[in-house]
Amino acid sequence: MRSIRPITPSFLLACLLLPASLARPEGRQQDLLKVSVPVGHPGGVLVVSQSSEPKTLNPVVAVDQPSRDVIRRMTADLVHINRATQKTEPALARSWKSNREGSQFTVELRRGLRFSDGAPFTADDVVFSFQVYLDEKVHSPQRDLLLAGGKPMRVEKLGPYTVKFSFVAPYAPAERVFDSLAILPRHLLEQGYKAGKINQVWNLTTSAEKIAGLGPFRLKQVLPGEKLVLERNPYYWKTDSQGQILPYLNELIFLTVPSRDAQVVRFRAGETQIITQVSAENYSALLADQQTGRYKLYDAGPGLEYNFLVFNLNDDVKGRLPAIAQKQTWFRDQRFREAVSLAIDRAAIVRMVYQGRGVALATPVSPGDKLWFDSDIPIPEYSPEKARKLLQAAGFSWNSSGALTDSSGQPVDFSILVNSGNVQRSQMATLIQEDLKKIGINVHVAGLEFRSATDRVLNSHDYEVALMGLGRGDADPTPDMSVLSSDGDIHLWNMGEKTPATPWEAEIDRLMRKQQVTPNYAERKKLFDRVQAILAEQQPMIFLASPNILTAARDGLENVRPAIMDNYILWNADELFWHTPAGKH
Amino acid sequence: MIRYLSRRLAHGVLLLAGVSMLLFVFQKAAPGDFFLGMRLNPELSGQTLQGLRAEYGLDQPLPQRYARWLGSALRGDLGPSFAYNLPVTTLLWPRIKNTLLLSVPALLISWLIAIPLGLLAAWRRTGWIDRIFSGSTSTLLALPDVLLALLAVLLALRTHIFPVGGMTAGTDAGESTAGLLQHMVLPVFVLVVGSVGPLLRQVRASAIEVMDSSYFRAAQGNGLGRTTLLFRHALPAAANPLISLFGLSAGFLLSASILVEVIMSWPGMGPLMLEAIFGRDLFVVIGAVMISTLLLVLGNLLADVLLYFCDPRIRVQS
Repeated sequence: MRSIRPITPSFLLACLLLPASLARPEGRQQDLLKVSVPVGHPGGVLVVSQSSEPKTLNPVVAVDQPSRDVIRRMTADLVHINRATQKTEPALARSWKSNREGSQFTVELRRGLRFSDGAPFTADDVVFSFQVYLDEKVHSPQRDLLLAGGKPMRVEKLGPYTVKFSFVAPYAPAERVFDSLAILPRHLLEQGYKAGKINQVWNLTTSAEKIAGLGPFRLKQVLPGEKLVLERNPYYWKTDSQGQILPYLNELIFLTVPSRDAQVVRFRAGETQIITQVSAENYSALLADQQTGRYKLYDAGPGLEYNFLVFNLNDDVKGRLPAIAQKQTWFRDQRFREAVSLAIDRAAIVRMVYQGRGVALATPVSPGDKLWFDSDIPIPEYSPEKARKLLQAAGFSWNSSGALTDSSGQPVDFSILVNSGNVQRSQMATLIQEDLKKIGINVHVAGLEFRSATDRVLNSHDYEVALMGLGRGDADPTPDMSVLSSDGDIHLWNMGEKTPATPWEAEIDRLMRKQQVTPNYAERKKLFDRVQAILAEQQPMIFLASPNILTAARDGLENVRPAIMDNYILWNADELFWHTPAGKH
Repeated sequence: MIRYLSRRLAHGVLLLAGVSMLLFVFQKAAPGDFFLGMRLNPELSGQTLQGLRAEYGLDQPLPQRYARWLGSALRGDLGPSFAYNLPVTTLLWPRIKNTLLLSVPALLISWLIAIPLGLLAAWRRTGWIDRIFSGSTSTLLALPDVLLALLAVLLALRTHIFPVGGMTAGTDAGESTAGLLQHMVLPVFVLVVGSVGPLLRQVRASAIEVMDSSYFRAAQGNGLGRTTLLFRHALPAAANPLISLFGLSAGFLLSASILVEVIMSWPGMGPLMLEAIFGRDLFVVIGAVMISTLLLVLGNLLADVLLYFCDPRIRVQS
């Protein structure tokens, strides 16, 4: 027989408090963000394909794109970069103000918000999040962006909803580094962090109820290697203009489809409803059936990826790799580099490799970067004649068989190292080979697997010229410092320079350092424009082309506004809705 | 029997040790590591990546790394995945199940087709049935699994009868057996078509050898029925090479299913292994290869045990 236990005062108190704690905070002081987008219908499921499975759900350690795509739908940041305008806008931070130098930021948080498990969000979560990201022992990839002058930022709680961030020196891109830095729930992660196991938490085997964020969706289910299902977060903090809580979709499903071609096949078969990135070839193929296939294709314009040729100017090859050291005599001559640049038909690259869906480049900044592109720098013209004149002026000549020779009579030839797994770059290398043949330069294309090629460029320096591509993750010049500054970690043309090897590199270093501490955008723009002008003039890297961002979505999906920053099509997943009110898709 | 099995098991263990050592040496010889690819991310510093390398012991010399791995492997831990931050065993287990879900039915179906048809072809060795089988198996042998898988995807796309890939439908929660079976049809079909050709030929060749023997002719002369002759007398006598082939075909089907899984987006070992190889996720590659080797060893061991019971000569020798 069951015994009846007496009702204790603490039980009575709990009963009295329970309804209050379960009640949604909207009625009280909930500081929601109203967005002005076409109003939609709630409901429906959206299935998206990903080229590989997300590796983790832990924002502290995630580096791969599929993981980040999922995590960014489950979490939120203080300040967000609007992918359409490329400018910062308030997110979890209701407002912020900085001091005149731009080294301190006081952030006012939205009040009354809750994590997806219903726990309240306060300044303690913000302080905890930055404590984790900045901890050297954690090795979070986010940490590097939070350093100014090599020192980490300081984070102080000024009140339950006020946090102060201080850098040791003015830090111009400070607002932008908050973008995509997920605010972590202290109540769920503090224990793991204290035990030194923060890197192991929130992996693909963690149960859904142990993961919470402030994003529009929360985890529902993981089927390893196959799919990951997110469901609507009922505590989300954005509404449409009619006060309807976003997101509209009930579920967002990420399906793992390993190849891009297979993604197109499954999209055409109706098994997925979005392709995040379509290759130019597939775009052309899909274009023909756009009407009958009941889908729409989107061309968001040139993205932030830039492809380039880089000459090996590393000093350490002397003695170690004599054949390369000998060729460096040509590569170090600015006129030789410019002649090579003039001999490359960039328009043909865009036409042949990207089927016309891309742009030729003069600098690493594509026209897609609305804030930093310098339209005054012209794209190098295609002129084999001018290239020949330049080479002649630099002391080169042509032998009887038409091959270019240097002043000592040595025929000019070099190899272009390229990642053989990247079809588009391999095609570019072949086109360049043809172009340079016209001015008497014999080029060999050396295709190597991605890591082998990267190892040669970054570690052994055993290459002559490399054809590579880099992505500018954020439309801001500061991350570019690792490539452009002479002491940068991936200063590709001359790795590990102790001091700038040339006056123009010294000038780039000075300008890049200055832009980093200049709070005024217009002044920063002038400084970075000058950097771009130097790069276009000196051509240590010959910038080639940037592909357009191409995406596809099934008919009936509304509020689709593809952008060139990631995630190209899901960045506003909270605003997407199905045209049919029932959302039966 | 125990001595025989122990010797076979010892061979298997030696094979596994040799494979693991070779894998470490090859991985070391390949340029770059998992973290090298991240170095091209302008937002990541070399210092952070160095810290991550040290955390996973990649800065240590090869013998030390191997000894450490071997120690943990003997305790059932195959090391961590750099990409997933998870123990490799945790990562591999659901995928092994998915791979076996394809390869085991494919193996059984292939043999169930190959045995009766091979015997029939041997019985009618000069007739039109044999000529049809001979032509079909030659065609099947010439078709690579990749092409078969691509044709299957095309068929699915054009007819809409079967799904074009995956293990469950996009919106399916993965609990429907009917849905799973529907998704299994095409990959299993491709595996069966890809493997049945050589099996059929082997069954036919072994059966013909038996049918030419004097005792079989004597049995035939005594007026025994066709089914009795084929299944009671020809099949057991021809079983030896077929049992050996059964052990090998388990390994062959496993490697073929990896290819098919990649093309048909089946969440088995294939896509994981391919990604780990390209991404240099060291312990995942080693773990996946070790488990594939283990399955191959087990397949052969099973064949050895079957041979032990089927062939009295082996029992006498051992």
